[in-house]
Amino acid sequence: MDDIKVNQNPKLGSLDRPNSYIGRSLPRENAKKHLDGGGQFVDDLTLPRMVHVAFLRSPFAHAEIKSINTNDAKKSDGVVDVFTAKEIDEVCKPWIGTLGHLGEMRSPEQTPLAKKIARWQGEPVAVVIADSRAQAEDALELIEVDWAEKEAQVDMETALDSNAVVIHPELGNNLFWTRTVNQGDVEKAFKKADAVVEATLDFARHTGVTLESRGIVADWNKAENKMTIYHNGQAPHMMQHIIAKHLDLNEGLVRIVSRDVGGSFGIKVHVYPDEMAVTAISKKIGRPVKFIADRLESFTTDIHARCHKISGKLGVDKNGKILAMEIDDLSGIGPFSMYPRTSAIETNQVLNLSGAPYVIPNYKAVGTVVFQNKTPMCQYRAVGHPIAVAITEALIDKAAYKIDMDIDKIRKINFIPDNAYPNKCPSGVPLEDLSHEASMDKLLEIMDIKEIEAQNEEDFKKGVLTGHGVISMCEVTNPSPLFYGVGGAHISSQDGASIRLEGSGAIHLSSSITEQGQGTEAIMKQIAADQLGVKMESVRVTLGDTDATPYGGGTWASRGAGIGGEAVLKAARKLKDNILNIAAAIMQTDKDTLDIEDNNVIRKNGGEGITLQKLAETVYYRGHELPKGTNAELLATASFLIEGIPFVFTNSAMGCQVSIDQDTGIIKINKFWAVEDCGTQINPKLVEEQIRGGVIQGIGGALFEECVYDNQGNMQNATMADYLVPMAYEMPDIIVDHVTTNSGRSIIGAKGAGEAGTGGAPAVIMNAVNNALKQVNAEVVSQPITPEKILKALGKI
Amino acid sequence: MKAAHFSYHEALNLQDAIKIKAHDDESVILAGGQSLLPALNMRLSSPTCLIDISKISGLNEIKIDGQTLFIGALATHSDVMNNKTVKNNMPCMFDILKMVAHPAIRNKGTHGGSIAYGDPAAELPALAVATNAEIIVSGQNGDRSINAKDFYLGLFETTINQDEIVVGIKYPLLKKGQKIVFDEVCRRHGDYAMAGLIANVMGSKNDIKDLKLVFFATGDKPDVADKTARLCLENGYDYDKLKNSLSTEIDFAGDLNSSSEMKLHLATVLIKKVLSKLEI
Amino acid sequence: MAGNNSVNISFTVNGENFNNVNVPSRQHLADYLRSQGFTGTHLGCEQGACGACTIEMDGKAVRSCLVLASQANGANLKTVEGFDDEMMEKVKQNFLKHNAFQCGFCSPGMLMTTKEILLNKKKLTRDEIRSEISGNYCRCTGYQSIVDAIEECINEIN
Ligand SMILES: Cc1cc2nc3c(=O)[nH]c(=O)nc-3n(C[C@H](O)[C@H](O)[C@H](O)COP(=O)(O)OP(=O)(O)OC[C@H]3O[C@@H](n4cnc5c(N)ncnc54)[C@H](O)[C@@H]3O)c2cc1C
Ligand code: FES
Ligand code: FES
Repeated sequence: MDDIKVNQNPKLGSLDRPNSYIGRSLPRENAKKHLDGGGQFVDDLTLPRMVHVAFLRSPFAHAEIKSINTNDAKKSDGVVDVFTAKEIDEVCKPWIGTLGHLGEMRSPEQTPLAKKIARWQGEPVAVVIADSRAQAEDALELIEVDWAEKEAQVDMETALDSNAVVIHPELGNNLFWTRTVNQGDVEKAFKKADAVVEATLDFARHTGVTLESRGIVADWNKAENKMTIYHNGQAPHMMQHIIAKHLDLNEGLVRIVSRDVGGSFGIKVHVYPDEMAVTAISKKIGRPVKFIADRLESFTTDIHARCHKISGKLGVDKNGKILAMEIDDLSGIGPFSMYPRTSAIETNQVLNLSGAPYVIPNYKAVGTVVFQNKTPMCQYRAVGHPIAVAITEALIDKAAYKIDMDIDKIRKINFIPDNAYPNKCPSGVPLEDLSHEASMDKLLEIMDIKEIEAQNEEDFKKGVLTGHGVISMCEVTNPSPLFYGVGGAHISSQDGASIRLEGSGAIHLSSSITEQGQGTEAIMKQIAADQLGVKMESVRVTLGDTDATPYGGGTWASRGAGIGGEAVLKAARKLKDNILNIAAAIMQTDKDTLDIEDNNVIRKNGGEGITLQKLAETVYYRGHELPKGTNAELLATASFLIEGIPFVFTNSAMGCQVSIDQDTGIIKINKFWAVEDCGTQINPKLVEEQIRGGVIQGIGGALFEECVYDNQGNMQNATMADYLVPMAYEMPDIIVDHVTTNSGRSIIGAKGAGEAGTGGAPAVIMNAVNNALKQVNAEVVSQPITPEKILKALGKI
Repeated sequence: MKAAHFSYHEALNLQDAIKIKAHDDESVILAGGQSLLPALNMRLSSPTCLIDISKISGLNEIKIDGQTLFIGALATHSDVMNNKTVKNNMPCMFDILKMVAHPAIRNKGTHGGSIAYGDPAAELPALAVATNAEIIVSGQNGDRSINAKDFYLGLFETTINQDEIVVGIKYPLLKKGQKIVFDEVCRRHGDYAMAGLIANVMGSKNDIKDLKLVFFATGDKPDVADKTARLCLENGYDYDKLKNSLSTEIDFAGDLNSSSEMKLHLATVLIKKVLSKLEI
Repeated sequence: MAGNNSVNISFTVNGENFNNVNVPSRQHLADYLRSQGFTGTHLGCEQGACGACTIEMDGKAVRSCLVLASQANGANLKTVEGFDDEMMEKVKQNFLKHNAFQCGFCSPGMLMTTKEILLNKKKLTRDEIRSEISGNYCRCTGYQSIVDAIEECINEIN
């Protein structure tokens, strides 16, 4: 990885000065502990008197719990107690996963353990507390439940039928939420179109499969009235609020500690019934309680993602100009909307983002979200993006084929021009600082389309179906309060940073952003050291502890660098200002003649300076030496929030080439390219790795991953042997390049980069596959694109 | 999940293991543990006692024994892959085992375990059947030798008796002009296949004199397709005809990754793939 | 029924002696090691499919979730905490350089798999490296950086 030589953000200064760390691909020295086995994950923690739990989970997708007998289980070796909903409900109040700002949402109260009815296979029903997890599992086998299995509503497509099983009778039907967006007049525009194309795409459910499963240790300390939660979550302050609220605790006395987290991707930002139960148990029995989901529990209780069927229609004139687009999306979310973010956001994003890169004067979108007896579905990396991008880009390819235009050309003539921002998505959501034109140009340059097309033809002669695709997309990052807060959720959209110069000369920084491996700590250090003028090694960072960090939202929706990073930048600038003021007083000179370099206050015009250590010593130990009235604060805090716009968008362009084995239906990804514009890259290597990891996750969804259900609502492949995650052998190398358009919303100019790969890869893979299949007049419309689906499309089976 | 209780017994020698096994119906042999431990960890199986045979010496021997290549039950997949005698006498073994799981699993998983377990999706049982191998088992009444085709009865079901332990497999040495060719189709490298084929061929690509086809991951045990092999010998490769023949000869059982139609198609295609690997 | 619910065994971990310790018969080695503070050995599936628990047992990579602790009698075990020889320090430097891990949860297993690749002393292509690590799941990186790091290790060693 080469350093970029000139920082393209003038507000940050050039890269050729000392301590210019922003924009450099520096290794994450802080993360080396993982290579020495020194990470501190939740399951690594053992507390005195700690007990373990195992949950009895519903084996049925829909069943009445007529009675539960826990007597024998309570007598089993090592068992401390066995609880059902009755005991847990005494300490934990129910919740409802709805928000107020997106129209009517209807979801019933949810409790940690199912009461009379279990509504998905895996829903917790009872819990054994024991000295070890193995003993707790032994006792599970002794719990007797008298189940009366009910018919399950599994298929989302029949969920609103008049004869559907209504999962929550009090709601009357299975509708959770619906929204319609209508801009312009699509009907009229379609009539004027020279070509109208249609597509209906299916997206299976998949799930996060973080290598580290969900885990929590709850430790109620009665003497201090304090609840400490060690949790591998993404949003500590959100959890602090929720646990205080539902367990009726003093919020200030709830401490959430999230040390190392083994991947999250949105999976770990939600409130899970079993985790709430664990917290309640600790409160009830006054001992530390540990719960680590095993892989079976992960598959059946971590939120699932996607689960959409979307139909779309696109009208173009004979020159390829898009006149209108219409989509209709159906999504199934399981029996409850997740708390506190709701399960409406995925569909909302589909409606917001479809067609986003393009000028589409007439746009209509309908989204319908229904309940079903499957694992709850909610926000996962690239919320809604894969669906929005895939339908848009599939339609555009179809239109291009229909009017016989190159797939890159049709995109280019429809892009919102790079110089036409601020602008709006077809749905009306504001956009700014994007570069679809430049990004596509860059993509085409690195891909060499001519060469690829020649290769496709060559392969065809040999009987191999090879094809390619290109796509363009917008990624939602850095959300403002208009995302959740406005709807009533206690989820901070502001983030804080606190930075101090210590007596030793060391810098300590804390931030409300959390780390799950993205490199949060590293980039925070880079920003702080860069802005202060100190060596990176002298900065120490604290994250993920509500007792020790500023208040804020945490890490989700690609907001770490853009929001949290800006807060660090502002705090560092404030501290620098303070330091220079103090130095000016000590050195009896004008502050403007001073600067900080390599941990020294220097005189810009030469002459003797003073080390930060000396300065700190003077401030802390010999404050009397300072001139009277000097403001000697070596601690600065700042916070940042996006204002005036719902999100700061990022854009990317992706391309790939695939080959299909006509005998086996196996798809090989020959090459993959991604061009990302995320504004200022604080650490380009880390940006690229976000893209790569994201793309592979997207390829997972496109080709491999699926939660397979039978028609009774039983998940069939809830093991890592049967659920196919992407492994190294089948995955391609990914060539990443950049265009840089800084966000005007902040000094740092950074936007998010965490989700585009996952959002865009499914679309470009599908387009490339269909480009290859087009040569034999075949097509696939459903993800994951399995070998079997390919063979069916080819008429081989 | 964590395994349920069982007791653990480290067998000192074969007789010791046989004795315990004979007296406890619910005891199981633990060899490499690479199939057994996943089942135990997930509480899919709850034996009373595990008899660990992995430390019995001599059971991992690999040698030429008369007209056969003998592979001791405890030889791990890695041992077999790295063994010179195997390489010289059964060169296909390396390619086959390379498709079995992943290196760390092959370091523990044993040849005998794979043969004894009788997983219909596993490669080695099909190889044993295709090569007409003999499976040597030892029990209270001494040793017996079972032809591989008689060994497999159904899904994870073999002719092995409760007191018996697989001690080794005898693969007949290849004759001049004889070749074992193999291919399989899987979703991901190292996964169990959607369908696989081991072909025992006499002759060369243009002049096949004899052909035996044994499929795996297609039904409930290694599936021998003699009729189809004959048809192929007589008529050459004809997709439709062979597919038709296979559909009558094998009871294809679909699984999560491939339906029975998919398996039938892949099985047919595998014949072509395997034959194309022969030298002219 | 023969045997007991626990057994007494002796073995070493990273050179440290564990003499005559009592382990539950049913406990797998990963859980036992973790209970003794070797928490660098991670669990991702407990069925052999993810590779997170891969450690070294008598010089070979094994899945510690698929070995019983009781089977470790007499064994020399090495976990990530003990990967401190010159070769492994180099490997770690390359992992760091290429950012061959994000959350780090897969790293202990990846490092063990890398170690075995390097001990085999073969010059591997990128595809062959991908094949060798195809039993180790990483959700974060997308693998390319891991392949880069291993490729550099192989080049340095040969
Ligand atoms: C992730 C993963 C992927 C895998 N992929 C494949 C694959 O693609 N192809 C494949 O073929 N295998 C695969 N395997 C299985 C692997 O090859 C096993 O090693 C093998 O099937 C069993 O051998 P073992 O020595 O581990 O047997 P164990 O697990 O010890 O035993 C398995 C069964 O056989 C019995 N048994 C074992 N040895 C004997 C004996 N000598 N006599 C009598 N009974 C005995 C046991 O009692 C037990 O019931 C995979 C395993 C894993 C974990
Ligand atoms: S935990 Fe052992 S392989 Fe996954
Ligand atoms: S770095 Fe997170 S799983 Fe590999």
